[in-house]
Amino acid sequence: MIERRIVENVLGAALATGGDYSELFAEDTEKNVVVMVDGKVEDASYRRVFGAGVRVLLGARCIYAYTSGQDEKALMETAKAAAAALKGVKEHETRAFNALRKGDYAPETPYGAVGNAERIALIRRASQAAKAYSDEITQVVARFMDVDQRVTVANSLGVWAEDRRPRGRVAIQAVAMKDGDAQTGYKAPGRGEGFEQFRHYDMEALGAAAAKQAVTMLHAPQCPAAGAVPVVIDGGFGGVILHEACVHSLEATSVAKGNSEFCGKLGQVVASPVVTAVDDGTLPGEWGSIRFDDEGTPSQRNVLIENGVLKSYLFDYRDTRLMEHPLTGSSRRESYEFAPTSRMTNTFFAPGTDDDEEMIRTMGTGLYAASMGGGSVNPLTGEFNFAVDEAYWVKDGRIFCPVRGATLIGKGADVLKKIDRVGKHMWMAPGMCGSLSGSVPTNVGQPRVRVTDIVVGGKGGML
Amino acid sequence: MDFIGFKKALFKEALAQGCEAAEAYYQRNESFSVNVLEGDIDQYEVNAKGGLNLRVRLGGRNGYAFTQKLEEPEKLVARAMDNARSIEAEDDHPMQGKCEYPALEKPERRAYSLGEQEKIDLALSLERAAKAVDPRVARTEFCTVESGRREIRISNTLGLDAFDEERTAVSVVMPITKEGEDMRNAYAFRIGEGIFDVDRCAREAVADSLALHGASPVGAGTYRALIRNSAMAAMLEAFSPMFSGDNAQKGLTLFKDKLGERIADEKITIVDDPFHPDYARAFDAEGVPSVTTTVVENGVLRSFLHNLKTAGKAGVPSTSNGGRAGADASVSVMPSVFYIRPGQKSDDALMRELGNGLFITEMDGMHAGLDPVSGEFSLIAKGMLVENGKPVRPVDQITVGGSFTKLLGGVLAVGGSLYFNPPRGGGAIGSPAILVDGLVVSGR
Repeated sequence: MIERRIVENVLGAALATGGDYSELFAEDTEKNVVVMVDGKVEDASYRRVFGAGVRVLLGARCIYAYTSGQDEKALMETAKAAAAALKGVKEHETRAFNALRKGDYAPETPYGAVGNAERIALIRRASQAAKAYSDEITQVVARFMDVDQRVTVANSLGVWAEDRRPRGRVAIQAVAMKDGDAQTGYKAPGRGEGFEQFRHYDMEALGAAAAKQAVTMLHAPQCPAAGAVPVVIDGGFGGVILHEACVHSLEATSVAKGNSEFCGKLGQVVASPVVTAVDDGTLPGEWGSIRFDDEGTPSQRNVLIENGVLKSYLFDYRDTRLMEHPLTGSSRRESYEFAPTSRMTNTFFAPGTDDDEEMIRTMGTGLYAASMGGGSVNPLTGEFNFAVDEAYWVKDGRIFCPVRGATLIGKGADVLKKIDRVGKHMWMAPGMCGSLSGSVPTNVGQPRVRVTDIVVGGKGGML
Repeated sequence: MDFIGFKKALFKEALAQGCEAAEAYYQRNESFSVNVLEGDIDQYEVNAKGGLNLRVRLGGRNGYAFTQKLEEPEKLVARAMDNARSIEAEDDHPMQGKCEYPALEKPERRAYSLGEQEKIDLALSLERAAKAVDPRVARTEFCTVESGRREIRISNTLGLDAFDEERTAVSVVMPITKEGEDMRNAYAFRIGEGIFDVDRCAREAVADSLALHGASPVGAGTYRALIRNSAMAAMLEAFSPMFSGDNAQKGLTLFKDKLGERIADEKITIVDDPFHPDYARAFDAEGVPSVTTTVVENGVLRSFLHNLKTAGKAGVPSTSNGGRAGADASVSVMPSVFYIRPGQKSDDALMRELGNGLFITEMDGMHAGLDPVSGEFSLIAKGMLVENGKPVRPVDQITVGGSFTKLLGGVLAVGGSLYFNPPRGGGAIGSPAILVDGLVVSGR
C-alpha cells in the first residue's frame, strides 16, 4: 500500500505544468501458471507485476508515464516525466481524498495460499479424462492460470479507490490425429474468484468435452463455402458475436472520435426488437467483474440495447471530454503499463422467449454453431469474423452432420437486425479481450440465438 | 536493491538451498510514443520498466519466478524451487555456459537519437502528409511515432554473462477515407531510418484504404489467387509454430515426422536469420550464440527451430531459437527473423501470371480462424478481382479457406519483394507475395 502523502505529492507534481487532471494507478499482482503436456507437468512459473502509472489530462489530451517499482523516488520521477509533456504553469490543485472506495473483496482461498500440488491435481483429472476419451486423442495440453491483482487508483478530483481482483482459469486443449489429419478441441472455464471456485468444477467432464470436440471435428467433413445462410448460435461463448460484432463499436475508444458505425445512433433502432444487450461489471464472481474500474468509478449494469433501441455507449472519464456521455464504470487496462480506456466487462444478450428446438426445426438449411472460437472486428466498418470450433450442418430443420473449419463473417449493424430468435436460458463464458489498453478478462454470453442470414465460410462442397 | 546486488543474493541463496545452477534474465525497457490527431498531441507516453526472471535448476529440472520488485531474494528463490519441484517431464533443460559471441555491427541511426520534439514533429508531418494525399482522407484513426531502448542481461552460475542493447524506432499511420457513407481504413508503418520516409508511408496507407471503396463479395468457388506479401507474412507468422521443435516433439504439428521430406513446392525456401541487419542479435533468450538456420530448403523440411532443451532431445545443436514471450515468460521456442526467401518476379509479372482470379491484400482473424496444429485456415479476406492480369474491382466480405500444407505444396510463383510485419518481441516474420491455385472462397 502506498502512503497517502506520497500519492498527494505525485498527483500534485503531475499537475505542475498545467494539466487539469492527474491520476495514479498502482498495482501489485501475483500470477501462477502450471502447464501439463501429455499428462506430465512441463512448466511452472510465478510472476509478480509491481509498478505504477501516472496519467495527466489536459482537455482530451492524454499523457501517460509508467514505471516498475513503487518507491517515492521512482513515482515522483514518473510524475515529472508525464508533466514534462506540457509546457504551461500550474493551474489546478489536487483535491483532498473525499471519495474513498474500498472493494474489500477477499477470496475464501487466495491463490497465494494454494500449493502447486493442488493446481496440478485438478488439471491432471481433466488431462486423464481427455486422453481416455478416445484412442484418437494423441495429445492433451492442460493449463492452470491464476491471477491476484491488487490495485489502488487515486486522482486529483479526490477519488481514492482500492480493489482486489483474483481470478482463476483452467484450459484444456485436446488434439485428435489420424492419417496426417489433425483437429483440436478446447475448453477453458474460469471465474473472478479464488481457488474455492474449483470445488464446483467437474474436471473429468471438462477433459472429455474438449476431447469430444476434437474427435467429432476429426471425423467431420469440411464446412461448405455456403455464402449467406441461416445460422443458430448456441448460448455461452456464442455471445462473442455480440462482443465483436457490436459492442467493440460501442466503446468510447471508437465512438468518441467518430470512428464507429454506431456513432450518433443513441435512441435509434439498431437491432431487431427481440434484442436486448447488457454489459454488467457488477455480477458477483464473474470473470469480467470489477468492483471499481481502473479510474476508480464503481462498476455498473449498462443496458446497451433495449428491445432493439441503442441506449448507451461504454465510456471512460477521458473520453467524456471528447463527447458528452455519463461514466459507465468501463475504464480498464491490462496493467499499469497501459493508460486505461473504455472496455467491456460481462457482456451478453439478455434472455428472450423463444424455444431452443424450434429455432433449428424451422431454420431450413444452414449452420448450427454449437461452440464458437474467437473473432475480431474493425470497429470503423463493423466488419467482423469468427471461427466456429464446433459446428453442425442443418438440412431441412434437422442436424445433418458435424462440419469443420466454419467461419462467420459480416457487418455488425447488419447482423443485429437479422436476429429473429432469442432463447430463454442465458449463460456466459470467459475470454481475454485484446484492445488499446491491453488484454483484459471479459465474459461473453447469450442464450441460443438465430440469425436469418450470415455469410458462412468454409472450404467444402455442398453437403 | 539494484540488479547486481539482487542477482548475487539470488545466486547465493539458490546454491545454498541445493540448486545445481541459477540464472537471472534481466530486461529493462524505456519507451516513448506520441499519437497525434488533427494537428495536436492526442496521447503521449514515456515509460521505464525492469524485471528479473530467475530460473533455477534443481534435480535437472527448471523452475521460474519473475519479479518487478527486487526485494526478498529468499522468497523468489523459494518460489522458483517450488516450481522446479513440480516439474514431472523428464526432459533435460540445460543452461548455456560461458561463451563468445559474434560481434554485430549496430550502426548509429539518426532515428534512434531524435529528441522528443522531433518525434512529435515527425508524427505531425506524417498526419499532414496522409491528409494531403487525397481529399477523401477524413482523418487518421491513429498516427504514432514510437521509440524504444531494451537492455537484456543474462547471467548464470555457469559463467554465462550476456548483454545486449536494442534500439527501435517505429512510425505507423492509419488514415480513414470516406466516399459518401462508405468509410474505410488501412495502415502502413516504417521502422528504423524508414520513419523519415513520411510521404511514401502516408501514400501507401491512403492508397490501400482508398482501394477498398465500393468493395463487394465475389461468388463462392475455387480461385487462383495472388497473396500479397504482407498478407502472406501474417499467415506465415500464425503458422510459424508448425516449425517449432517443441511442438514437433509434443505432436502439436503435422510436420512432426517430416524431417527430410518434401513439405512444400521446390520454389519455397524458409530461413531463420538472427543476423538480419534490421533485427540483428548476438544471442537468443537463453544466451545461445546466434546461428542462421535453413528450415525449408527448396521445399524439403531441413530443420525445426530449437532451444537448448528441444535440441538436446532431438540430438542436434540449438538453432538459437530459445525465446521468451516477455521478460516474465519461461523459455520457449520462437523464431528470430523468419521468412520465405523471395524469388525474382515483379508484382506486375505475378499479376499477369495470375491472369484471372483474386489478389488477396489482407486476411484477418488469424488468432481464431487458423489452427497451427492442423494447418487449416478459414479467414475473412479483402482484395481485388483480377481479370486478364488487371485488377477490375475491390472485393471484401469473403472468406478464404485452405490448408497451409496444401498452400505451400501448390505454390505457382514466388514474388521478389520481401515484406516484414511489424516486429514483435525482438523478431520479425516476412514473406514475398505468392501465387497459388485452389483457394476456396465463400462470399455472395
